[in-house]
This record gives sequence, structure tokens and C-alpha cells, in this order.
Amino acid sequence: MSNLEIRFGGSGGQGLILSGRLLFQAFVMDGKHAAQSQSYEPTSRGGFCNADLVVSGGEVDYPLVTAIDYLVLLDQIGVAPSAAMIRPGALVLSDSRLVPEPPKGDFTLYQFPFTDEAIALGNHRAANVVALGALIALSDICDRETAARAVGAGTPKAFLDLNLAALQRGFDMADDLSADLTDNAAMR
Amino acid sequence: MTVILQNLHGNHACAMGAIAAGCRFFAGYPITPSSEIAERMSRELPLVGGTFVQMEDEIASIAAVLGASAGGIKSMTATSGPGFSLKQENIGLAAAAEIPCVIANVMRGGPSTGTPTRPAQGDIMQARWGSHGDRPVIALAPASVKEVYDQTIRAFNLSERYRMPVVLLFDQVISHLLEPIELADMASLELVDRPWATGDSAGFEPYASTETGVPPMPRPGDGYRTHTTGLTHGEDGFPTQDPEVVTRATQRLLDKVENHRADIESYECHDTEDAEVLIVAYGISARAARAAVRRARGQGIAAGLFRPITIWPFPEEALKAAASKAKAILVPEMNAGQLVLEIERIVGHDLPVAGLNRIDGQAINPDEILQRIKELAAK
Repeated sequence: MSNLEIRFGGSGGQGLILSGRLLFQAFVMDGKHAAQSQSYEPTSRGGFCNADLVVSGGEVDYPLVTAIDYLVLLDQIGVAPSAAMIRPGALVLSDSRLVPEPPKGDFTLYQFPFTDEAIALGNHRAANVVALGALIALSDICDRETAARAVGAGTPKAFLDLNLAALQRGFDMADDLSADLTDNAAMR
Repeated sequence: MTVILQNLHGNHACAMGAIAAGCRFFAGYPITPSSEIAERMSRELPLVGGTFVQMEDEIASIAAVLGASAGGIKSMTATSGPGFSLKQENIGLAAAAEIPCVIANVMRGGPSTGTPTRPAQGDIMQARWGSHGDRPVIALAPASVKEVYDQTIRAFNLSERYRMPVVLLFDQVISHLLEPIELADMASLELVDRPWATGDSAGFEPYASTETGVPPMPRPGDGYRTHTTGLTHGEDGFPTQDPEVVTRATQRLLDKVENHRADIESYECHDTEDAEVLIVAYGISARAARAAVRRARGQGIAAGLFRPITIWPFPEEALKAAASKAKAILVPEMNAGQLVLEIERIVGHDLPVAGLNRIDGQAINPDEILQRIKELAAK
């Protein structure tokens, strides 16, 4: 198996590293070899931040991403440091409000209102988990039940209901998109 | 042996390794990218009856660590480059007064306060020469979370066995990396305690040489007369400038490391047996090098990796053996060229040694190394 490279990119304080950790936990639960790294600026809120995962058939050699297969962008500031590393054919999900100029190239881009949906759930800070849900539902990187278990294991009690609802909201958004894509294909 | 699988962040692995090694005192001043070591120690130490103190600054932190260790408790501090600079004088005191302690330094870009959150490997030479005078030095540079845990334990063991400070050199990528690791159960760990003075206290000489060169340490309260000083001292502990005594005392300190290289040196070889292009790399750069070597081998290039885990004393003979078939050596490091100087010194002028350096706060990636391997192989 060749390496699978995943990045959550955006602005410090958006919970990108938590998204990375939750997905890492899900991979470990699935018995996969993964390494999760992080990079951020000295400011604790704002400034570029990313959480990277490398999943490998064996022990991960180099734990930083170099050719991204799956990219989630929650803020415009995350675009520039990642754009050149997107692998052709990659899947890119971006926040439709906070990423007004998403990257363009030879990959699939879907824009979702992650933050707006999180606000509708009662807390804008859950946008990271909404996005995680959409990523998992649109890819086959791990199954939904494992993801839910990982979110359960990695979320403080006070935010558990919110995060589980956010994860489900992400699944639903992705399923709605998939259904639309199928309908459009049928119409052609 | 029971093995426990845990998902650990590099800095947390350092804290857990310290606890497992028997560390029961931590004094520090939080500094990115090392702060999680202090944070984790502040939670773990009270659970095992240990003491955590957040001191007013870096100098006070290392001073407190020396005090605690002189009192008989395994002790450590953690910092980053700017704090490592501040601690140098007391690291020298620890070497002179033979006080065991562990200093974790998560390197960041410098000079001065530099680039706080970016990875770097700029403190290789500071770890060797940062404190003045001739002194013994042990510095270890792990390249994975598992190794952070293991080498932290080893740092305590070496520090106790040879009664001296031991430095752990991490980079931000390794210290903030999350990897699943297998931890051996505590009962199976081999832990070392410093040699303690026993026997008659009359006529006791606190710095008397022994077969290993390491004098047994008088435990406070056991009634031995001793003197803890940074002034060069004779076997009786009294300061002296007598040329013979000074030579003997200083040489004994240096020999504690020189005469035990086999125990202290550790390294890993990947595909070095027939390697024509040999990479020498440590920390995160070694992870990139390992990926690059794998790819180079896939393309039919005889590349190999020599990875020192013990940076100081550098495993010289092992490097020479690994380089026996090499036509060129490449030393990728996140600094302007530090360890490369030592490699040049060891292999001599017959073998070309090239650096691959980044000073922009970005990790060196496998592609860059592979490119240089190809260039060197084509020569």
C-alpha cells in the first residue's frame, strides 16, 4: 500500500489538530499505521495551522505530507501553504464561507458550509468535526462507525453530544451531495 | 512481558519516559515547542509522589534541578534553544560537580528567540560546546515517538551511571508528532541508579577515582563529608589549581565518556553494507532520509543511512564501518551545517562530504534528499 496523505488546513483555533487526532484515533482503531503531525504559528488564535496524517502499510517513514490525497480547508489562510502539495486526482473540501478563493487544479473540489452548519448546531467551533464527517463520508479512508467511536473516545464529555451531532451532520451533507451527483449523472 | 499500546505525542512520550525512568523532580519554564513536556510532568509527577515546580526562568530551573539531584532525586528540565543557552553555565556545573540530570531541548530556529514554532536542528554544536571548558558530553537525538520514550529512559540511566548531565535533542516535528507506540511494562525496564557511597565515613574522599572513573555519590544525611563545587577540585573535594591534580581531575571527567563509548554510543544502519552514497542524518531529517534511501534503492542506487542516536559522543568507528564502501556522504540537517563538520573530521579528506541544509524552518523532505543522492551517485 502506498502512503495516504491527509491534511486539515486553516487558521489556529479552528480545531484542526483535534480533527487530525480524531482521525488518527480512528485509523489506529482500524489497526492501521499512522502518524499525525502538526504545524502552527506562534499566535494561539489566527495564523496558519495544519494537522497532517500519513497512513502507511507499515511504520511511517516520513511523517509529514508531501503529496496530499485528501485536503480539508477551513480558512483561506490554509490554502497557500498547501496548494502546491495537492496530488492530481485528490479530494479537496473547503468551507464555502471562510475559503472564498479555494485552490484550483487537477483535483476534485467540493465547497461546503461547514461553519454555517456548525453554527446551526449551536457552536461554530464544531466546524472541524462537521468537515471530518464529510471527509469520511466522501472517502473510504475509514468507516463511519469507527469514526464515531474515535470521536467518542477523543472528545471531552461537555462537547460529546455536539461533536457526535457535528460528525453526523458532516455525513449527511456528504450523502446529500452524493445523491445530487447521482441525480445529475442520471439526468445526463 | 506485557506490552501496552499507546498513542503518544512526542513531548508526552518524553514525560512518560522520565516518569518510568524514576524522575521525581521537574523544574522548568514553559517554552514552545517543549511546553507539553512540562505540562505533562505537572500532571504526572504528583501522581507518583514527585514534585513539579514552575520556576521564574530557565536559569533558576536548571539550578533547582541540580539542587534536587544533589539531594538524591532523579531530576530533569525541558526547554528550547533560548532556554538551553541560558542553562549552559549550570550544565557545566553539573559536569564539574558530577550531578546527574537530564535536559530535554526541543530545538527551534535561532539565533536568539528565533522562530518559536518552527522545527530546526540548530543546537547540535551548542550541545557539545555550549558550556565553557573541557567537559564530558552526552547528547541523544531520537527520531520517533517510541524512541523519544526509550531514549529519555536511557538518558536518565546514562546520567546516573556516569554522574553527569545528559541532553536530549528533539526537533518540533518529533516533539509534536502523534504515533502509536508499544510501551514495555515498568517491571521489565532496566533502570540505573547512581553509585551511592557506602562504608566508613572516616577518611571518605568524595571524588576518589574508581575502576569506572565514577566516584560514588555521598547521599545527603548519610554522614559523609563532601563539597559540591564548580571549582576544579581534587579527590578530597577541595578546590585546587595544582597542575597535576587539575589534569587528573579534568581527565577523569572526560574519560567517564571516552572510556565507555561502547555503552554510550547508539546508532542505526539502513542498507549501509554496500552503500555508495551514505546519508548521515538524525531526528526528523533521518525519517526523510530513510524514505529517500528506500526510493533510491527502488531506482537501483546503492544508498544507505547511518543514523546516530547518540550525537555526542559521536559513534566514530561505527560511521567509518558504515562508510567503508561509500563514494560520497550526504549530511542533511536543519541548520547551516553543524554535524557535517564532525563527519568531515571523522572520515578525513579522502571521502567527499556534502551538506544539505535548510534554515527556513521547514523540514527537509525525502525528495530533496533523493535528488542529492542521484547527483552524488552520478559523479
